[in-house]
This record gives sequence, C-alpha cells and structure tokens, in this order.
Amino acid sequence: MNPAGKSLRLTFVLLFSLLFQFQAQPQSRPEVQPRPPAAAAAQQPAKQPELKFAILGDTGTGGREQYEVGQKLTATRGTFPFEFVIMLGDNMYGGESARDFQTKFEKPYEALLSTGIKFYASLGNHDVPERQIAYKPFNMGGQRYYTFKPKDGVRFFALDSNYVDKKQLDWLENELKNSGSEWKICFFHHPLYSSGEKHGPSLELRKVLEPLLMKNGVDVVFAGHEHFYERIKPQNGIQYFILGNSAKLRKGGIATSEITAKGFDTDNAFMIAEITGDEMSFQTISRKGTVIDSGKFRRAERKAATND
Amino acid sequence: MRIQPASKLTTWAVMAIILFMVCACAESGQATGAQDQSKEFQARIDKYLEIHRKAVASVPAIPKETTDAALIAKHEQQIAAAIRSLRPNALVGEIFTPAVRQMIVGTVKQKVDGKAGESAKETILGEGNPKGPESGTSVNLAVNGVYPTTAPLSTVPPSVLMALPTLPKELEYRFVGRNLILRDTVANLIVDFIPNVI
Repeated sequence: MNPAGKSLRLTFVLLFSLLFQFQAQPQSRPEVQPRPPAAAAAQQPAKQPELKFAILGDTGTGGREQYEVGQKLTATRGTFPFEFVIMLGDNMYGGESARDFQTKFEKPYEALLSTGIKFYASLGNHDVPERQIAYKPFNMGGQRYYTFKPKDGVRFFALDSNYVDKKQLDWLENELKNSGSEWKICFFHHPLYSSGEKHGPSLELRKVLEPLLMKNGVDVVFAGHEHFYERIKPQNGIQYFILGNSAKLRKGGIATSEITAKGFDTDNAFMIAEITGDEMSFQTISRKGTVIDSGKFRRAERKAATND
Repeated sequence: MRIQPASKLTTWAVMAIILFMVCACAESGQATGAQDQSKEFQARIDKYLEIHRKAVASVPAIPKETTDAALIAKHEQQIAAAIRSLRPNALVGEIFTPAVRQMIVGTVKQKVDGKAGESAKETILGEGNPKGPESGTSVNLAVNGVYPTTAPLSTVPPSVLMALPTLPKELEYRFVGRNLILRDTVANLIVDFIPNVI
C-alpha cells in the first residue's frame, strides 16, 4: 500500500474510532464478543475469509473419545473448510511405537489426513521429542521448535515448552522480531495462564516467555496440558486459550478464577478459528457437537512489516 | 636508634590490606576452581560426543523426516546399541565427576532452594516427572539404560537450564524424581546421572 493510501486508511480508522469509541490499544483490547451458542454447525462468516484452521490438544490416547472428536472435527470441515490443524502437545501417551502412531494419530484423523490436511505438532511432556520431530506427518521439520507461515500476514510459532533454554529463547526472539506478519500466533504445551486445579499456570515459563511475547506483538497463544478448555481474559494484550481436552479430560478441573472468560471441563472439545483481516473468530465445539464457546477479537495495530 | 611503634591507623590499614588480599585470592581461587570444573565437564562432554558421533556414523542414516515411525524407532535403538558397545563399561560419574557434580548440584540448588526457588522446584518435581503419580512407568537409573518411551520427560525450568553449562543438542538435562540425568536425545539413553540433586 502506498504512503497516501496508508494515511487515508489511518485517517479512516481514527475517524471511525472517534465516532464509535472503538478501542484498538493492546492494553484495552475489546472484550471478546460472544455468539449465542445456538447452532451446532459452524457458521460461514459474511466477509471473504483469509485463513481457517483447527486446534487440538492432548490427543494421543487412542481412546474412544479421541476418535469421536476426530469424527466431529472431520464433519465440521464440511461447513468450515479449515486448511490445517495445530496440535498442542501430548500427541502420544504411553509409548511411541509405530503402532502407537497408527492408533493415536493416523487412524483417529485418517479422514482428514487422506484429504491432505496438514497437522502441525508441538511437544508435550509425554512426547518423545526425537521420535516426533522426525515423524513427517507432524510437520515439525526435524525441529523441536519451528515456525511456519500458512498465508501472507499470518505466522505461527511452535515452541517446546518442556525445555526452554537460551537457544530456544534467542531463536524465538529473533523470529518474532524479524517477522513482519500482522498475526503472530504461538502454540505450545504448558499454559502461561490457567485456572486449573491440578497444574495451574507455568509461572517459570511465564517469567521468560511473556515479556518476549509482549515485546514482539504476539496476538494469540494456544496451550494444552490442562485437560479442559479455558478461554483466558486477555493478559497484557495477548489472547490465551487452553485446549487440553481433545482426548483427555479432567472433569471439574477448572477452579474458575478472575482470569477465566469461559471454561469447559465436562467433555472433550476441539476448536476452529478463522482469521479475516484484523479479526479472529473462533468456536470451541464439544465432542457431541455443541458450540460451547465462540467469539471474535481484533488484533492490535502494529507498525509496518519489515521482512516476512 | 629507637624503633617507633606503628600508629594504630597504620596497623589497621595494613591489616585491611592483608585481609583484602586474602579475600581476593580466595575469590580468584574459587573462580579458577569453577573454571576448572567447567573445563573438565566440557572435556568429558566432548569425549562423549566423539563416541556418540561414531555410533551415529556406524548405523544406516535415515531422512530427517519420514512417515515410517518404525524406522525412526529402529534408528534410535541402533544408535543406542552402538553407543553401548563403544562404552561398555561406562560408570556413574564418568561425566559427572565429583568436581563437576559439586558444581552442578550447587547450581541447581541455587535455583530451587528457598522461597524464590519454589516454583522451579515444583516444576521439576511436579507434573511430567516420571516419579510423579501421573507417570505410570518407572525409569531405571542406569548408565547406558534406555529412557522408556512410555515415561514422561520432566519439564526443566528455564531458570535452571540457563544456569547450567550449555549442552550440545545431542544431550540434555532431565530429572527423574530428585535425580538429575544426562540424556542422549538421539539414542534416548541415560548417559550419566547425579542422585538426589534436589
């Protein structure tokens, strides 16, 4: 966009803000506007979509619930054609033989894999890193932490939250700094914020990661580990989600706190999300197909891109 | 000729200088000691890496990524077997020598002791630690022993990782209960360990 066009756009945004008291500051991000959880089927937005993706967390049980969530996810794709899936760790529980990869990943998501849907995995504490990073269907590129850009303007960063050393932090800082993408989305296993009774927030991780994420304009963080769903109220300008119940479940695991925007701990679930320009909308859908949470939010304005 | 006794001020000044020099020497000695321990650790790590690389070179290579999970597991096991054959009599303390052990234990304790270290300690001993209640699989602490793929890997707090000597990517620190292990990431082997670090 040329400078004149940018000025015009900025002027329009300012005028719009004045007229409708629209707030775009990172510290006062508008609250997520919920959609009534009426229809079970995902709804197509009015605007032209830019990117659709799905999210799964703590999946690798090979149990009935995992398969049922997989079936529901596949069915959802009929009305909401997401392009790929991100996985929030604990992709395999209790072993990593070839058979485990079949029963705990390939079969539950067979219908999606057969249509070419890619899965991008991050590592959980139950995962054997070297077996999973070399497993091509996890698209980790042989790395414990990596980044990918599915569309212009959107970049994902998968981290290994089990082993955050200086090397990983330096890598992340460098990648975030040099990414000019409008949307920066991180996903990893251990949540920085959580109302879980069993695990709770990873405070050690928060100390080192949060400043980096804030400084470099990360918009959204998805994490697993807690076996329930929780949407956290935006913290320092970042929208956090916990989704650790795509196969595992800890019933009653949330001790709802002042940071909870929405919690769900009575059944398994998955998420779908859509980015349209500066807006992300999402739905969290239970194993039975009920939309148990939904909403949309805008990312903060950011300076113009450099690389990426 | 009469010798005049030194004034009190002079005496105190001399004592202060001597004390300062003694402290400086002690500190320098400690720093030298710590440097020696680090060098020793590095030398032992380098020696292990030679064995590791020899083992890797001795087995058929596999692609960086493959859809064949069985091939990935087999490759790991082949490397593990090769390492065992190259260091058949490896003992506890070959890498974590007494001096190195002292350094490592001291470093970890600094990060987990007291109120400031509570969350780090909780991270290590809590979820993910294979001795935790969630684990369901025990890890046998033995040099050259396999780390079971059915056991979780402990989460190591960033504060601890950043204080410990940096390792090459082929090795990592993990905890089994209160014991620190050195794990070969490619072979999934326990290379050495220090009991009761925490």
